[in-house]
Amino acid sequence: MNEAKPQPADDAETVRTPSALGRLIDLGGAAQACIPGLYAWAVTVAPVAWAHGASAFAKVTASAGLVSLAAALFLEHRRPEDAPRARAVAVWGFSLSSAMTWLVEPSAMSLLKIDAARGFAGMLGWGLFAFACAAPPVRRDEANEARVVEGPPLRPRTRLARGDVAIISLGAAIACVLQVVGWRSGPAERAILVRLVALACGLAILGAATDVALARHVRRVPSPRRERIRRAIPWLSILSVLVVARLAFLVFTGK
Amino acid sequence: MQLFDAIALTMVVAAGLAFGVGATSLARAEDVKALYWLIVGIVAVQSAVQIARPRGA
Repeated sequence: MNEAKPQPADDAETVRTPSALGRLIDLGGAAQACIPGLYAWAVTVAPVAWAHGASAFAKVTASAGLVSLAAALFLEHRRPEDAPRARAVAVWGFSLSSAMTWLVEPSAMSLLKIDAARGFAGMLGWGLFAFACAAPPVRRDEANEARVVEGPPLRPRTRLARGDVAIISLGAAIACVLQVVGWRSGPAERAILVRLVALACGLAILGAATDVALARHVRRVPSPRRERIRRAIPWLSILSVLVVARLAFLVFTGK
Repeated sequence: MQLFDAIALTMVVAAGLAFGVGATSLARAEDVKALYWLIVGIVAVQSAVQIARPRGA
């Protein structure tokens, strides 16, 4: 008698349960974008559309944003090969409907009515939405999964030095603090300018902190102190001139 | 951490302070002051990178 014995691989498949990260990846790009999209919508769009005295058209356009997210989810769930199309629906539908809501109710979006915490939360939500739309994780390939040979976890060739984490964290903290500045500046044009400048300053600080952290490891041929000072002299000179000019200004004006 | 790394890091922090003062001044419509502090921040960032950068990089 030939009884069909279950294969070990089948046993492994029945026992294997996907992790939380695996389940999130299996959701697909559009579904992943829906989560931060909903958050951004709740923080920045819904308060505008359902503010006191807001028009019905604003409510319709705000609801259209939710509908576009749901449509993207439905499209991707029904036909996974249409994931790029679903993502386009999520990005363009949601962004355009939100922009339309803000255009319909410009007074509700005035920066004077937005506190720093809500503005920061909105920036975070839209940033996460953009990130989830632009770089969704690769989905698991069900057909070729059986060919994957499980092995021990890969060992990194090098470990991140503790100092690097501290330096980059310091830069990130300064960049975050800069985003809190200037949420109560008067006209909308100036408020937008302040936001742009603060964002550019934050990126510059983050880039410089990363450069400083990375430069500690490239130093196979250490450059002499004299050469480093020579390279930095033009910038240090400009900095000195600026500081002296400021001091002179303070002394002469008495402010 | 070497002395020059510490100096570079201090200049990054100083640049952050300068940027903060510049952005605050810009929000208060003190444009000249804002311009001054933003330039100081840019120069401080450049100085920090030049001091930390190794030879040939």
